[in-house]
Amino acid sequence: MKTGAKMAIVIALLALVALFWRGLYLDPRHIPSVLEGKPAPLFAGTDLVSGQAVSLAQFKGKVVVVNFWASWCAECIKEHANLLKLQQEFGARSDFAMVGVAYQNKVEDARAFLARMGAAYPNIVDDKGSIGIDYGVYGVPETFLIDRHGMIRCKQFGPVLSDSYDKIAQRWLPALLENRELTSCD
Amino acid sequence: MFVTIAHFAVVVALSLAAIGVLASLVALRTGLPAWVRVGRQAVYLTFAMLTLGMAGLEYAFLSHDYSLAYVAANSNTDLPLFYLATALWGGHEGSLLLWAWLLSLYAALAARLHWNSHARTMPYLLLVTSALLVGFISMIVFLSSPFALLPEIPVDGQGLNPLLQDPGMVFHPPFLYMGYVGFSIPFAFAMAALFSGRVSEEWLKATRRWTLFAWLMLTFGIVMGGYWAYYELGWGGYWAWDPVENASFMPWLTATAFLHSMMVQEARRSFKVWNVFLIIVTFALSLLGTFLVRSGVISSVHSFASDPSRGVYILLFMGIVLAFSFGALIARSGKLKSEVSIDSLASREATFLFNNLFFLVAAATVFVGTLYPLFLEALTGGKVTVGAPYYNQVFPPLMLGIVLLMGIGPLIPWRKASVARLKQDLLLPFGCALLATAAGFMLGMREAYPLIGLGVACFAAVAIALNFRSATFGVMRRDGLSWPRALWAAATRNKRRFGGQIVHAGVVMMMAGLIGSGAFKTEKDVLLNAGDSFSLGSYTVRFQGAQFRNGHNYDALVGFFEVWRGTEKIAELRPERRNYVNAAMPTTEAAIDDTWLRDIYLTLGSANGDAYAVKAYLNPLVKWIWTGVIVMGLGTLFALLQGRRIKGDKA
Repeated sequence: MKTGAKMAIVIALLALVALFWRGLYLDPRHIPSVLEGKPAPLFAGTDLVSGQAVSLAQFKGKVVVVNFWASWCAECIKEHANLLKLQQEFGARSDFAMVGVAYQNKVEDARAFLARMGAAYPNIVDDKGSIGIDYGVYGVPETFLIDRHGMIRCKQFGPVLSDSYDKIAQRWLPALLENRELTSCD
Repeated sequence: MFVTIAHFAVVVALSLAAIGVLASLVALRTGLPAWVRVGRQAVYLTFAMLTLGMAGLEYAFLSHDYSLAYVAANSNTDLPLFYLATALWGGHEGSLLLWAWLLSLYAALAARLHWNSHARTMPYLLLVTSALLVGFISMIVFLSSPFALLPEIPVDGQGLNPLLQDPGMVFHPPFLYMGYVGFSIPFAFAMAALFSGRVSEEWLKATRRWTLFAWLMLTFGIVMGGYWAYYELGWGGYWAWDPVENASFMPWLTATAFLHSMMVQEARRSFKVWNVFLIIVTFALSLLGTFLVRSGVISSVHSFASDPSRGVYILLFMGIVLAFSFGALIARSGKLKSEVSIDSLASREATFLFNNLFFLVAAATVFVGTLYPLFLEALTGGKVTVGAPYYNQVFPPLMLGIVLLMGIGPLIPWRKASVARLKQDLLLPFGCALLATAAGFMLGMREAYPLIGLGVACFAAVAIALNFRSATFGVMRRDGLSWPRALWAAATRNKRRFGGQIVHAGVVMMMAGLIGSGAFKTEKDVLLNAGDSFSLGSYTVRFQGAQFRNGHNYDALVGFFEVWRGTEKIAELRPERRNYVNAAMPTTEAAIDDTWLRDIYLTLGSANGDAYAVKAYLNPLVKWIWTGVIVMGLGTLFALLQGRRIKGDKA
């Protein structure tokens, strides 16, 4: 074997190992939303519990958390308590709002879910999935953060559990509420 | 109690494997045969201890011992016995134990089978296999023990993933592992040859059947995965170029290249460095497959739990194996000078060279496609998925090249062929290829690859038939036998060669199936009420209604369909949509009516009011794929019957 060939093998192997090493610390399931930094698509519906009209437009000027969920989704059951906690923590502020969107869900099923799990903020049904399509929802649960200007700033893909809860409650929301610059959603 | 003993046995197995490493090192240093025997004993006992470990884990599953986290996570009380018994490898920890157990089994077998014939190689062989065992058992003991206990014993387990509750999936992983692990023995022999500096053809001869066996198991494992996907996932396809599928396909490609190039070294004493390189790459790709699957580095439909600490460990282990194996190859490459070079492009050596080129390019293609998303993300943070469109662009030409060579290779002699003779031999296959392509065109085929593919498949089929014919005629003329007896005599005289030809025939069948189902698939999405019907190709499918049915551990919605051709009812199909207890997502059970010409494939989707969404496929020639693989398997088994010497040849 020529020296060049030997060197090539060694370099290729080292590069490969380095690549895998780096890869171990990346999250292959993290999917950046193409909508980050884009205006949030408007939607409207009726609150499943109170029957009152709810629309994104009515929250103009507020920081809004939009959570896509479904009664048939097991991860949504896990995260529900954390969403209620988030509302409890920030709900007192007049410039904060949360909306739940039951994605591809029948009204009765979604209502039964809320009756069982509790509801602290308005929830509407997106039974045809058209709001989900507007927001580019890959699968429930997904949670979007919208700033005072109606722009989507960050997206949480998957359930809001302890790590992602801290990320939302301690970094994303405080930054948006205090009008600070949020450089990255990671 | 038994489970505690089993856990302890696995820990003992680790120390025994370490003793195996030390004993073989001492044996190499001192040259004392007693130490080699210690090494062999250590390998035997490692196997015995791991067998005890497997038995203990199996017992834990069968006795519903939910104090073990692994048992609680992968089974429950409802699980049917068959799936309960095989849930052992339903998750990461158990799979790893199965892997290590197979490795110890192979190591013990190799030590026993080659003890007398390869006395000088033995300490190296024991060293390499014991070191690999230390690597795998350490991971089991320290990072992913299937014997880890839960703080509180749950009332019931979480159950096995419903998608895995299918016979196809039960046997897919063990076959893959038998393949992956099987390459460790040829790898160990190659390492022994490099370390000892005795780099003759001996290691190839010693490991030919090991390699063939591993290759066969890997082939079955891969195709079983495809078969399972076809029946269970309900998207009408069998191969999706998913990273985890690719991970098993890459070592298959390089192993296939190796199976061919080893013949060149045996016959012509060339390709020496190349063969060692190929077996190292094959084994390294097996480890890479483990790494990709178990570390979660790459996003895949096979959503295994990702855990960086395991990933780091496997990467480290792989790095050490790569460093030692390629290091030894580089250090010894001077000794591996080929004694002859290729005389002519019209020679069997040259067809093998091109064969290897195609297989290696194919492996590199899959490698690049699989790792490109990771590469891009590591450098730029961007996200891409490399899927079917990429592979469908680059793979068909390689496949066509390989099948074409399959027709030419066996007809060409070693060293140098007479071009006139070759023209004469290839005339008939070439004519048939042209005819087939023309016929395809007349029948309305317009796409280039399927048309060329049809021609190439016919070329290879006719060439293989000619090969059988000429061998049979040779024996008939020489020994005056009737043709069936002459064919048998010719085939059994050189089982290896004929086995290979049968494998090639299987490949041609498979290719026919791939072309048919890839190029002529009909797909339909319909929304049906009871009593509705729709047309699918020349068939009419009528939906009679849907009913609920209770299974052992699931509820199913069963759709009742009739398939009509004109006024004749040809099949009743019942696709199901199952909701397993403890599972969030419903699973589909496709219903398939298969003939040699086509599969009618139905899946039942969700209800929309009274109507049901139904997906229907008309997939031509799919059965040829599965049958082709069985033919390949039979051919390989036939070739495995061949001992080390071919009757009538001088040793």
